[in-house]
Amino acid sequence: MKVVQDLKRDEREIESLKGRSKVVFVFIIFLILAGIFKIIQLTVLDQNEYITESDKNRIINLPLFPSRGLIQLEDGTIVAENIVHQGIFIRRNIIEASNDQLEVLYNKILPDRSKINLTTLDPSLEKVWLANDLNEIELSKYELYKNSLPDIKLETSLRRFLPHKNLFSHVVGHLGRITREDEIYFTSEKYPLDSLIGKVGIERVYEKPLRGLPGKSQVEVDVFGNKIRQLKRDLPMRPFNITLTLDLELQSLARKELANRRGAVIALDPNTGYVKALVSSPDYNPNILNGSEQGQSFDNVFENQAPFFNRAISGAYPPASTIKPFIGLLGLEEGVVTPKTIIEDKGFFQIKEDGRKYRGWKEEGHGKVNLNKAIVESSDVYFYELSSQLTIDRISNFLSQFGFGSITKIDLFNETKSILPTRNWKLGNIGESWFVGDTVNIGIGQGYITSTPLQLAVALSAIVNKGKIYKPQLVINSGPRVYTPEVLMEVQIAEDKYWQVIEDAMISVISSWNGTAHNLYKANGIKIAGKTGTAQIKSLTDQDLTVREEYEGVRENIKNRDHALFASYGPIPNPNLVVVVIIENGESGSAVAAPIAQQLIEEYQLNIHNNE
Amino acid sequence: MSNRNPLDYTINKPITGSFNPFLYVVKDSILFFSLSLILSFGLFMLYSASGQSLNMVFRQLTYIFGGLILMMVIAHLRPSSYKNLLMHSYWLGILLLVYVLIFPAKGYETSRWIDFGFFSFQPSEIIRLILPLSLVAYLCRTEKKPQLSDWLQTSVASFICAYLVYKQPDLGTAIIVLTSGLIPIYLAGLPTRIIMSYLGLATIVSPFIWSSLRDYQKQRVLTFLDPDVDPLGTGWNIAQSQTAIGSGGIYGKGYLEGTQSQLDFIPESHSDFIFSVIGEEFGLLGITLLFIVYGIVIWRIFKIGFSSETAFERLACCSLGFIFLLFILINVLMVIGIIPVVGVPLPLISQGGTSIVVHLMAFGVILSTKKSRL
Repeated sequence: MKVVQDLKRDEREIESLKGRSKVVFVFIIFLILAGIFKIIQLTVLDQNEYITESDKNRIINLPLFPSRGLIQLEDGTIVAENIVHQGIFIRRNIIEASNDQLEVLYNKILPDRSKINLTTLDPSLEKVWLANDLNEIELSKYELYKNSLPDIKLETSLRRFLPHKNLFSHVVGHLGRITREDEIYFTSEKYPLDSLIGKVGIERVYEKPLRGLPGKSQVEVDVFGNKIRQLKRDLPMRPFNITLTLDLELQSLARKELANRRGAVIALDPNTGYVKALVSSPDYNPNILNGSEQGQSFDNVFENQAPFFNRAISGAYPPASTIKPFIGLLGLEEGVVTPKTIIEDKGFFQIKEDGRKYRGWKEEGHGKVNLNKAIVESSDVYFYELSSQLTIDRISNFLSQFGFGSITKIDLFNETKSILPTRNWKLGNIGESWFVGDTVNIGIGQGYITSTPLQLAVALSAIVNKGKIYKPQLVINSGPRVYTPEVLMEVQIAEDKYWQVIEDAMISVISSWNGTAHNLYKANGIKIAGKTGTAQIKSLTDQDLTVREEYEGVRENIKNRDHALFASYGPIPNPNLVVVVIIENGESGSAVAAPIAQQLIEEYQLNIHNNE
Repeated sequence: MSNRNPLDYTINKPITGSFNPFLYVVKDSILFFSLSLILSFGLFMLYSASGQSLNMVFRQLTYIFGGLILMMVIAHLRPSSYKNLLMHSYWLGILLLVYVLIFPAKGYETSRWIDFGFFSFQPSEIIRLILPLSLVAYLCRTEKKPQLSDWLQTSVASFICAYLVYKQPDLGTAIIVLTSGLIPIYLAGLPTRIIMSYLGLATIVSPFIWSSLRDYQKQRVLTFLDPDVDPLGTGWNIAQSQTAIGSGGIYGKGYLEGTQSQLDFIPESHSDFIFSVIGEEFGLLGITLLFIVYGIVIWRIFKIGFSSETAFERLACCSLGFIFLLFILINVLMVIGIIPVVGVPLPLISQGGTSIVVHLMAFGVILSTKKSRL
C-alpha cells in the first residue's frame, strides 16, 4: 500500500515538476526566440553591413609615395636628388616617460653624440629626432640594444639633398611640412598630414610632376594598429625628372662674385627666355631645411639680411639709369626727340611751373647732349627734360609693354610685379595727384618706379630682339613635357632703326672713352652693350642734400649707400646673354656691378664654345 | 524500496549478454558523446580565439580531464550518499563569498577573485551551481512536503548569496545567482501565494534598488539600451562582437580566418566572447550545429531527470538543465547584444578552469541520478 501511495505521490510530483518546467520553459523560449531572431538578423539580413564594418576595422590604405623626381641640368649635373637618411626618433608624447631608454641610447649606442635637451623641445613636434645620419657602428649597436629600447625607433627615409648646397637655393627652394596655407594640396588625400611639399622655388612650382602620383598599399592591421600583412599594392606613378635651363659655370661664377654681398644676378638667353644664372645673395643651405644635413641653414652674419628672400625676382629696386634706354626709345618713338636733338645739360633741370630744380649726378653738367651722349654719359638732365615732355601716361604705357609693373611669369614662386606708377596709382596709393616732378624722377628711374632684376633683364631682351620678349623660364622639360620658348609679348616700334640707335648708345657706354662703363672696355675683347645704374637711397634732388659733403656724410651709413646696377647683354653682334646685376649699397654700377656682368658674358661664350 | 513496478521488463532484463563496460562507465552515451563533442570543439575554438596559443589549449585540456574524472566519479556515486554533503556545501559557498569580500585578490578592480597562488577562481562561478543543488537537497532532505518555513529559508538563502555577489560588486552575476536559486525553489512547488507576495515585494523595493546601484552599473544598463551612444566605450565590445558574428554570415570566414578575432578586435575573445569567434569563423551554420548539440545535451538532462526515481534527483536534474540552458542563453544573448554584458562564460567552451570543472561536476550529479544497467 505504501508503495502504491509512493507511486501516486511520485506521479503527482512528476506532473507538477513537468508543469512547472513548462512554465519556466515558456519564459526561456522568449529569450531563445529573441536570440535566434537577432542571430539571423546579424548573419543573414545585415551580413553585408557587418562585413563592411569588419573590413573597415582591419584594412587601412597607406599611400605609397614614389621618391621625388630629380632636378638636373642639361649636362646631367644633379641639382637635387634624394638620399637615404637613417635616424632614430621617439614620439614626443612619450619622451618624458622613456628617460631610462634615452640613458641607454646615449650611453651605450651614441657615446659621441650630444644629448637632446628635453626642456627646450617644441611641444607641437610629433617626432623628436634623437640622432640623424647614423653610421655603420651606431646602426649595429642600435640593432644590438633594439629590444631594450621599445620606444626608440629607427626610420629610414629619403631626404631631399642638393649636392651643390647653397648654389641653387633660390632656384630650387626647399621642402617643408604641409600646412594649411598650402591649400591646394592640403585638402587632397594624396597628401597626408605630415607630407613634405615644395615650399618655394622649382620644388613648389613643379610640385606635381616632381611628386608623381602616390600608389596605395592595402594593409591589414590588428586592433592596436600593428601591420599584419599587405593585402594589395598599387604601384605609384613615377614622378618626372626636371631639367633646368641653368648653366652650372655661370651660376657658380655669379654666386662667387656675389659672395658676402647683398644683391642678385640674373642671366638669361634673350632668344629663348631660358634663364642661365639666377643668384640672390645671401642665400641659404636648403639641405638643412630638407633634413638631409645638420647645422645652420645660413651663417649668423646674414641674419638681418634676409637670406631666404629671393632678390632676383622679389626684390623691387629703383631701376635708376638703366631705365634711360627705354625712355630714350620712347622719345624717339613719340617724335619728341630725334637722335640729333640737343639738350643743354647745365647740371640741373628746372620745372617751369614751380621753379623746382632737379640736379644731375654731375654737378657741372654734361654740356650739349644728344640722345647717344645722354645714354653713354648717363645725363640725368637730358632725361629730366625728355620725360617732362613725354608725360607719365605715355611713359607708363610704354614701359608696361616691356613688362615693367607686371610679373614676368617665370616659373618661380613669389615673384613681385614691382611698381610702374600711373596717375591713378599715385592717387590710390599715395593719395596725391601726379606732379611733373614725379614724371621727371621716373625719367631717371627714380621716384616711385621699381623693378626686379628679372624684369629689367626681360625688358632688356626686347632691345636685343627688337621688340620680341620671351617668357623667362627655368625648366626645359619635366619628364616628357617640354617647355619650348614662349613669346611673352612684343613691343611695336614705328621705326626699326630706333632700336639700333639705343643699342649703339649702349655699346658706346663701354666702348666710348666717355662711357660710364668704359672701365670694361677691352680692345680685342667681346663686345657688349650695357647701361649702368646707381639707385639712390637718399635722393640728390632732396633740397637738403645739394652739397657733396653732406652726401658724403650720408654715405657713412652703409645702408644709405646707393645700389649699384648694371644691365647688359652681349656679345655684339648676335647677343646670347642678357645679364642684370644689382649690388645693394654697392654704390657704383660701373665699378662693382658691371665687371660681374662682363665676366658672365665672357664665361658663357667660353662655355658655348667648349660645348661645340 | 524501489519505486518501479517489479514487473518492469527493462529492470529485470538478464544481465548476461547486455553488459557493456563503456556504457557502464559513461552511463549515458548520447550525453557523453555530445559533451565530448562540445568540449573538443571548444578546445579548437579556444586555439583560434586565444591567438593560436597551444599553451592555453593544454591548460584547458588539463581542466577538462580533471573535470571529466570528477564527473565520472560523481556519476557513480549514489545521489543519497552525497545529498547531505551537497546540502551543507551551501555554507562552503557562503564562506567563499564572504572570503572574497574580505580578502579579494590583488590586481583586480572588483573583489570577485580568490587567489590561492597556484590558481585563482571566482566563487560566484561555483555558487551558481552549488546554490541550486544545496537548495534542492535542503527541500528534499525528508520525504515530507516542504513547509512555509522551508520556502522562506531557501528564498532567504538565495537572496543572501545574491547579495554577497552584488557586494563584490557584480550586479549581473547577482541576478544570475538569484535566478539559479529561485528556479529550483519554483520547480519544487513554491506555492502560488508566496510567489505573489514575492512579486508584490519586488515591485515595492525595485526603485530603491535602482537608486542604490553604482554609477557604472546604471551606465551599463543604459549602454545596453543604446549601444551606439559610445562605440568605443562600454558598447564597443558589443559592437565588435556583433560585427564579428554579422561578418561571419551564413558559412563563416573559416577556421582561423576570422579577422575580428585573429586581429584582436573582439575583447575577451577566448573567454566570455568566444561565441562571437564561433559565429565569425563558422557562421550561422556553425552556430546552429552548436545549438543542436547543446539542445541534445539539455534534452538528455531532462530525459534523465524525468526518469529518475527520487524527487531530489528529478529536481536536481531539471534545475541543472534549466540553469545550463540559462547560462548558454545569457552568454549568447550578451555576446549578440540583447542583454548587458555580464560575466557568464559559454558553458564547456569558454576558457576558464573553474567554469569547466564545476559544470562537469554538475553533469556528474545528473549522470549519477541515472541507474546503471547492471
